[in-house]
Amino acid sequence: MRATARWAFADLRTHRGQALSIVLATAGITAALLLSAALLVYAANPWQRLFTTTQGAHVWLRTTAAADIGALRKLDGVSALSGPYRTEKVTLRHGADKAAADIRATGPTPPQIGRPRLAAGHWRVGPGEIVLEKSMATALWAQPGDTLSIGAGGAEQRVRVVGVAQTAETRYAPDSGPGISWASPSVVRSSAGASLPTGQTVGLRLSDPADTAFMVQRAVTAVGSDQVVSVATWQEARADAEGDNHLLGLLLLLFGVGALLAAAIAVTGGVSSRVLAYGRDISVLKAVGFTPGQIVQMFLIQHAALATAGVVLGAAATETLATRSPGQLSAAMTLWQGLPEHTWALPGTAVTTVLAIAAATVLAAWRAGRVPAIPAARIAAPGRRRMSGAARAVLRWRVPPALVLGCRGFLHRPWRSAAAVVRLALPLMMIAVALGAWATLDRIQHHPAQVGLAGQLTVRPSGLPDDQIRELLSRQPGIAAVEPGIELAALAPGQTETVTLRGLGTAARPYPFAVAEGRAPSGPAEAVAGQGLLDALHVTVGSWVRVTVGGTPHVLHIVGRSIEMEHGGRVLSTSYDTLRVQDASVRPSYYAPVLRPGARSDAVRQALTHASHGALEVRDSAAPAEQFTPMRGVIAGLVAVLALITLAELSTEIAAGIRNHAADFRAYRSIGLSPRQSVATMVTSIGILASAAAVTGAALGAWASRWLIDLQARHSGVGSGLAVPPSWAALTLLVGTCLAAAVAACVLPVRRAIQEQSMRALRTVQ
Amino acid sequence: MTQGDRTPDRESHVLRVEGLAKTYRADASEVAAVRGVDLNVRHGEFVALTGPSGAGKSTLLHLIGGLERPDRGRIWLDGRRVDGLSEARWAMIRRRSMGIVFQYFNLVSTLTVADNIELPGLLAGRAPREVRAAREELLAELRLEGKADNTPGDLSGGEQQRVALARALVNQPTLLLADEPTGSLDSKATREVMRLLTRCHRRGQTILLVTHDARVASSADRVISVFDGEIADDVTPDGSECGPSSAADIVRLRG
Repeated sequence: MRATARWAFADLRTHRGQALSIVLATAGITAALLLSAALLVYAANPWQRLFTTTQGAHVWLRTTAAADIGALRKLDGVSALSGPYRTEKVTLRHGADKAAADIRATGPTPPQIGRPRLAAGHWRVGPGEIVLEKSMATALWAQPGDTLSIGAGGAEQRVRVVGVAQTAETRYAPDSGPGISWASPSVVRSSAGASLPTGQTVGLRLSDPADTAFMVQRAVTAVGSDQVVSVATWQEARADAEGDNHLLGLLLLLFGVGALLAAAIAVTGGVSSRVLAYGRDISVLKAVGFTPGQIVQMFLIQHAALATAGVVLGAAATETLATRSPGQLSAAMTLWQGLPEHTWALPGTAVTTVLAIAAATVLAAWRAGRVPAIPAARIAAPGRRRMSGAARAVLRWRVPPALVLGCRGFLHRPWRSAAAVVRLALPLMMIAVALGAWATLDRIQHHPAQVGLAGQLTVRPSGLPDDQIRELLSRQPGIAAVEPGIELAALAPGQTETVTLRGLGTAARPYPFAVAEGRAPSGPAEAVAGQGLLDALHVTVGSWVRVTVGGTPHVLHIVGRSIEMEHGGRVLSTSYDTLRVQDASVRPSYYAPVLRPGARSDAVRQALTHASHGALEVRDSAAPAEQFTPMRGVIAGLVAVLALITLAELSTEIAAGIRNHAADFRAYRSIGLSPRQSVATMVTSIGILASAAAVTGAALGAWASRWLIDLQARHSGVGSGLAVPPSWAALTLLVGTCLAAAVAACVLPVRRAIQEQSMRALRTVQ
Repeated sequence: MTQGDRTPDRESHVLRVEGLAKTYRADASEVAAVRGVDLNVRHGEFVALTGPSGAGKSTLLHLIGGLERPDRGRIWLDGRRVDGLSEARWAMIRRRSMGIVFQYFNLVSTLTVADNIELPGLLAGRAPREVRAAREELLAELRLEGKADNTPGDLSGGEQQRVALARALVNQPTLLLADEPTGSLDSKATREVMRLLTRCHRRGQTILLVTHDARVASSADRVISVFDGEIADDVTPDGSECGPSSAADIVRLRG
């Protein structure tokens, strides 16, 4: 054991760079895996906990007041009901902030099923008091003690906020459906306006959540489809709560696992190369009495120890630094650390990483154990292939011999060179995938129109007549055009989920939908749909669909698929005029001003608010890219880890090249090549290898990034067509950097090897 | 150990070899490197194996040291049959009972001179303090006192070979195998190494030396000529050839 330890420590001392690169790469991989786990847990867990603790309902039905809810109690598979609650659709106003809300009539104690969890204040709602759902309270900047006004059908009443509560239902967002609030029956009754339908809400807790889609159909049939206004399921609420964190977590997991694979291959290549490079030393160790088992054990323990050091470093850095980083990473890590799963997930990730690195070492270590004990037998047996006619011809044309010999050095063992190219191309491919993710984020953030977010602002009328709003908007110099829009919750065929029916733009001035497949709607009754809607309704481009909004049918011809960033892609978009033709009562619920180039959205927003004396509700359109901001930091970190793995792989190849060409250097000197030419020969070989790997990695990565992101987008409902490959400039920079790094990393060791060889030759004859 | 594993009537032999053969096969051609060699080496004997390049003398040494496996034949070390042992068993024999010196020194490049010498001692399970004392003694004897912390790359060829000799002797092996130990050295370093080997031999060390240099071979008690994988001649430096009876025990030409 002492002998083994002495050799292992001496080896580490001699190869500090290699050891450090293994430690750092493992640390980076561990950090990536832990962060991805934290984000995935962060994405899914809070909602799940809320749903469980509040005895959440799996399905929420919003029906007309006349609907017979009693039929739902008799349904097999419904274990309990929440409500029904008399519900009114109202507008809540707190200062300049307004939001649409469903206000539910509730008793003095919270219900058992779908029981809201109080975050602040109390539940006992008396006359003139209200409890707000947390996301609503946030949108209205309201807290217990504040006074709101409830507007419905022109009448207004003032209520005091007494509590803020959380519920495992879809959160409030300005562009989606109404938020949730609870008040005493008297407040709800007095909120009922003449022009708005009075309804009721009921929650269904199912005995088997997997049967949700089937149960929704049965429930809608039981109540009567004409009585159902909207349906919301627990899957929608969970997807809404997870938001893009889930996508973020999945992408990180992909990167983490990819980096682990790249590192494992790099470690295998690195250790194999060391076995070949130090085969003579291994032979000597065997000759002096090391058994094959001891040699295998030595390599395994050494690399497992390095991986363990890296894992400890990575885990410690993640656990301490991630909680101090800004944004979601910190929140995710703080939440994860408080969960019981964290206790086993941390050591689990650590052990998996160490085992992966150890497994990658096994093959190389086994090879080391098989090295024969005769040192002389390990002296390199270079290829015996003679120089090709082409190479000799090129040499005759006075092409620099270093270039010709360098090319030959790369090509004369094609299989070995190809394997080296593949090993080096893998981390470079992962870098190109990361660059593709970066480019896609750039597209969403800087070219929102390309992903269906042409309007940067959303203006909501609050009682102002259309012509007045249009006039206010047209007076703003920063606004180039105004698109009237409306979003309606519609029931789709099969009636399992509510979809969004959106009317945007006019026939004269069509909205620039981001069409990824088919064409944009141009004629009457034509529409485009998001991938989420196509999947939900099991239809394709070219199909006709019929959806109902409050009993009014809309029949539309899907002529294209649009990229849809909102509502999980379950959106059917047509022009506002088309909806008006099919239902004359439709009025714009918002306007999407298209800003002139150079106009700043916040300046326009302030100007509009000021011009309307606060009457217009002006908000920035949801900027999905902002949710991805932490991703940029993580991508940068991952690129650093992958660059480190690439460098480790490069140094392995350089060491192997020097070893394989040691005899050649002597030959070059004897035929009159200067040391500089000898160095140039080796630099050419490594340069060709790096270029081939970089070009292969960049090309595969550009393709893979598009494929992977589009695959993910298709599954999340956004639809393929979202991804953009990395720019040519980024790919060229990647290839150039790789080549430059290879040349820079090669020159010194080769020069040193040639010098050492000369010195050794001198010393041997002393 | 079974009766078949022991040769009780020949306990005085450190090494006994019978019918040893090794053939290399590559590219559909066969080269018989060693062809049925019989050889006995007594305790304290200094035997030189000589012959031209390619005669098979180094292969014979590697077979005796367990660095390669014979195709056929039997080997006894200190009366114990060893030719059928596993690679790991051979490694244990080498670390306890054998010292090997190679032409190209073959020191572990990442270890210091001190570590290179101490490694076999530690492998054999000796106490670190004892091994360090043995190393210091050997370095002093080989006039390498100041080189303990150098790496092999810092030393001249002659110095490296002396370190290799110290490494081979640190466990006071029963048998020292030396494969062309002076093959890469100049005349001065050659004389130095041979002086050291002779001194070891005088202390009772059994040595089996492979060399193609007649002057080096002349230092041995017994010179065995190998030609085409077979033993062609076996003489002592005074010119006396081993007698027929002893020749049957010591050297036999097969063919």
